[in-house]
Amino acid sequence: MVEVNKEMKEGITAWAKFYKKGMGYFAFAFHRLSGLVILFYLYLHYTVLSNLLRGQATYNAIVKSITYGPYDSFLVLDFLLALVIFYHGANGVRLALNEFGIGMYHHKALFITFEIIAMVLLGLFDYYALQFVGVGF
Amino acid sequence: MAEKEKMKYGSLNRFVQAVTGLFLLFFLGVHLYVAHIDFGHPVAFFSSVINQLHNPWWLGFFLIFVYIITYHGVNGLNHIIADTSISEKAKRNIGIALMVIYVITIIYGTILALLVAKMTVPS
Repeated sequence: MVEVNKEMKEGITAWAKFYKKGMGYFAFAFHRLSGLVILFYLYLHYTVLSNLLRGQATYNAIVKSITYGPYDSFLVLDFLLALVIFYHGANGVRLALNEFGIGMYHHKALFITFEIIAMVLLGLFDYYALQFVGVGF
Repeated sequence: MAEKEKMKYGSLNRFVQAVTGLFLLFFLGVHLYVAHIDFGHPVAFFSSVINQLHNPWWLGFFLIFVYIITYHGVNGLNHIIADTSISEKAKRNIGIALMVIYVITIIYGTILALLVAKMTVPS
């Protein structure tokens, strides 16, 4: 914990220094990093949704272009975003349980357990989401 | 005394962050299912979004979703900033700015959702 506090004072760049800091530090740094990515995406999402007011043709064209991108490359970004969200959610559950006094002495086991569950759910989500990408366009 | 109050506020803040995070598991789970899977009927394009927001229950669902997820995100960013080595005054000012951003976002989100809910579905 002292180590984590020390690193936090070093600023955001210190998060990238994982070497020999253990799983706890990895979980901490990636939770924050993934949170920033999700927050950025959230405001991007609001911006895209604002285009609903511009009518069907404009909105659908924007959604189509940002969903697929050149050579469908943006689909990869979608999968990476889903990975970040599932990671953040799983680690968030662990942190929330800790906040309620549950699993305080089993950080590592809980982290691994929740992340395995999240990655299985991510696999199912990706599998089904890919099947229905663009349905109804 | 001030330090004790600060710690108490910090604990409450972390607790609220945890509770909103758990709520988001439900909201985000439903949103991901409805928007991306729903077995052949995902909500993604204009008419499907308009149709969904015509339902007052879905409209309420999304409004609460926006309020909670924006709070969780902005408050999380505030936590990150609180852990940096910038001055206490700068942290306080950024905290106020983030609070303003939160309020503006939810007002904008509410107006946007209500305007979209009043749009007609193209035939």
